[in-house]
Amino acid sequence: MKAEADIADLSITEQAAAARRRRRVEFVKRLYGHRSFLVGSVILALFTLTAIFAGVLAPYGPTDINYRFILYPPSAEHWLGTDGFGRDILSRIVYGTRVSLRIGLMTVLFTGILGTLLGTLASYVNWLDGLIMRGLDGLMAFPGVLLAIALAAALGPSEINAVIALTVTFTPRTARIVRASVLVVKKMQFVEAAHAIGAGHGRIVFRYILANALSPLIVQLTFVFAVSIIAEAILSFLGVGPPPPAPSLGNIIADGRSYIQEAWWIAVFPGLVIMIGVLGLNLMGDGLRDVLDPRQRASLERG
Amino acid sequence: MTGLHRISALMRTLFTVGMVAIAAAIAPGSSEAQTKGGELVFVQGSNPPSLDAMSTSSQASRNINMNIYETLYGFSEDVNPIPILAEGVEISDDGLTYVFTLRQGVKFHNGKEMTARDVKASLERYRKVGATANLLSPVKDIEITGDYEVTFHMEAATPTFLEAFSSPRAPAVIIPEEDADTEAGKNSFVGTGPYKFVEYVPDSHVTLERFDDYTADTRYEGMDGFGGKKTAWLDKVTFRIIPEPGAQVAALEAGEVHVLEQIPMPAARRLESNEDITLYENMPWAFTTFIMNLNVPPTDNVKFREAVQVAINMEEVMAISSEGLYQLNHRWQYPGSTYDPGDIGAEYYNLADVDRAKALLEEAGYNGEEFVILTDSNIPQHGKSAVVIAENLKAAGINAVINQVDWPTALNIRMQDEGWNGWTLQMGIEPFLGPVGLIATLTSPARPHFVKPDPELDALYQELISGTTVEARQETFKKIQQRMYELFAVVKVGDSGLMQAARSNVKGFKPYRYPRVNDLWIE
Repeated sequence: MKAEADIADLSITEQAAAARRRRRVEFVKRLYGHRSFLVGSVILALFTLTAIFAGVLAPYGPTDINYRFILYPPSAEHWLGTDGFGRDILSRIVYGTRVSLRIGLMTVLFTGILGTLLGTLASYVNWLDGLIMRGLDGLMAFPGVLLAIALAAALGPSEINAVIALTVTFTPRTARIVRASVLVVKKMQFVEAAHAIGAGHGRIVFRYILANALSPLIVQLTFVFAVSIIAEAILSFLGVGPPPPAPSLGNIIADGRSYIQEAWWIAVFPGLVIMIGVLGLNLMGDGLRDVLDPRQRASLERG
Repeated sequence: MTGLHRISALMRTLFTVGMVAIAAAIAPGSSEAQTKGGELVFVQGSNPPSLDAMSTSSQASRNINMNIYETLYGFSEDVNPIPILAEGVEISDDGLTYVFTLRQGVKFHNGKEMTARDVKASLERYRKVGATANLLSPVKDIEITGDYEVTFHMEAATPTFLEAFSSPRAPAVIIPEEDADTEAGKNSFVGTGPYKFVEYVPDSHVTLERFDDYTADTRYEGMDGFGGKKTAWLDKVTFRIIPEPGAQVAALEAGEVHVLEQIPMPAARRLESNEDITLYENMPWAFTTFIMNLNVPPTDNVKFREAVQVAINMEEVMAISSEGLYQLNHRWQYPGSTYDPGDIGAEYYNLADVDRAKALLEEAGYNGEEFVILTDSNIPQHGKSAVVIAENLKAAGINAVINQVDWPTALNIRMQDEGWNGWTLQMGIEPFLGPVGLIATLTSPARPHFVKPDPELDALYQELISGTTVEARQETFKKIQQRMYELFAVVKVGDSGLMQAARSNVKGFKPYRYPRVNDLWIE
């Protein structure tokens, strides 16, 4: 009798695991069946590979100065030309993707953690809701990039300060999204059931609520990633990003702005790279949203 | 590597073009007929910190102020003191009294005639608010000895006094007596110059208008440096503030503005063949320098500083920071000038010797401490030389990091005794003033740029200002040059030029230390 029950249990667990696996495979299939997600993730993969293998890909060092080759147009030796220091633009861009991705990733990480923490606290702990959300509303009253510029200027130019400034800027919106979806999930029956069987708050929040409320957050974070790459470029362009001679994409564009007529290649190529990178992230975000959002999914299936 | 070096044939061509333009512009009594009237727009990159000429040594202010105000004595085209508002000066044999007689009939912009009372009142105000007030410290008192005569009683004979008194750095201008009690920056901007102040809108423009009652100095044929016979042709002059060099060039090409204080060299090369635009080369214009802080490690160690000196590739720094308009020069004077000290120190110049630098670093006991280079983003030469110097130093194993801030912040930080090791500075006006004005910024009683005074250099400065003959001062200056290459407190990187540009219909523009809008007309 006992052994039988064990066997039955086992088969139920196995069935559940198999179902989960099936769902996962189906999800990935659907994701990669989505064209914009595919294109976006290919672009992001190229970006990431460029950043990882910068040392191999870049023909020159990103800060190698050569005063005999100042402002040389694109040529066989310097595919994308050189800047006012005789530095190779291609090499600087290749290394620049590193800075952009690093800042983007760190911003996503910190924004994700902070946003989830604040959003969950606000929606789960009733008396904290007003306090946290009004504070975040206050931050949101500032136009996003302006707040980042002000913070970065106040903190001083460095990579980590740029990350701090961007995190503070993007956290409120992220926290709002998390709060909204937690509010919905928290009222669901399975949460009530968890309460009823006596699950602790920690278990309820992590196992039942967050696990079911994270989809919008993931979509939001891809946009934060994209926007922080642009914002990093803006900060660097204004001289409050990573200090020179760091090859950030914004720094390269800033170096080129006085020569826009004489040496267009300095500003144009990193500008294109930013455009493509951000486009890739946005496409990926769109794809994720389509696949993760059940309402959209339903309408897709119906259609 | 001691000789002068010009970078390319292109630059030579450009130089020739510039000189031809200059020659055409200054040819006296040429067939060109001046036309009265019109409005000229002059463009500069930054706001004037003040239009109270006494209280600021900023170039952005001087550009405008020297068209509004005048001094008793000022520098001529070849940088000798000449009388401007003064008729002349009589110096007693013991050097203890200076009797200045004033030109009569000189009018202020408020219509009042200038007298000895205004002169005394102005100079007493200068003692209080003057940015370089210590140039009057050799003067014990100023006495009014006639309606048009003032007498200076000196503390001690100071042979270089008249030269210092003529300095345009923060000029001792003459303003009406009524303004004498005003605080710095609070005077009514009334002077005696050919143009009078109309309005100042910060971040936008300063407007001047022709002063019709201007009394030209008929002792001269034409304008001469800060003085001479000035004629105002234009009705109105606008000094427009446009920070972005690219926007400045675009405005010039579009014909919206007439003269650019500075045009980036790549744009100058592009516009070389444009008939609507004339380029004017000012060479040399400034010293490119790298100042070290003697008060903090590792730059408190002379061996370390010597390592910095030998590690830097001067040619590379100059070529990049000046965009090609430079000459290599190890001297603390311009080559061929009166106080040119010759080859002293040349053996330390433009070496880019990494091995020697490494050996010196080891001798200095350097162990990778951070070397913070302070620089700013407003003056392109500063930021660029910082980047190149940092690369040079890194190659020698120095842990160089750049702290790039805006110009006012940089000025603030460098006044602190700690928190920076090196500072990039274009010295524009100081070398123009000659040895006294230059060395004054490196010695007591002022705070030397390198923070901690050097007693030996201080003593040499005293020897310089009390030297009675030019020959004696030349000898002293050689010792100063020698001392600079023992102290290694400031690296003399090179001499850089300034390229200016104007629409070709602007006639009579002759580049100088400030843009003279008198004797300038639009065809």
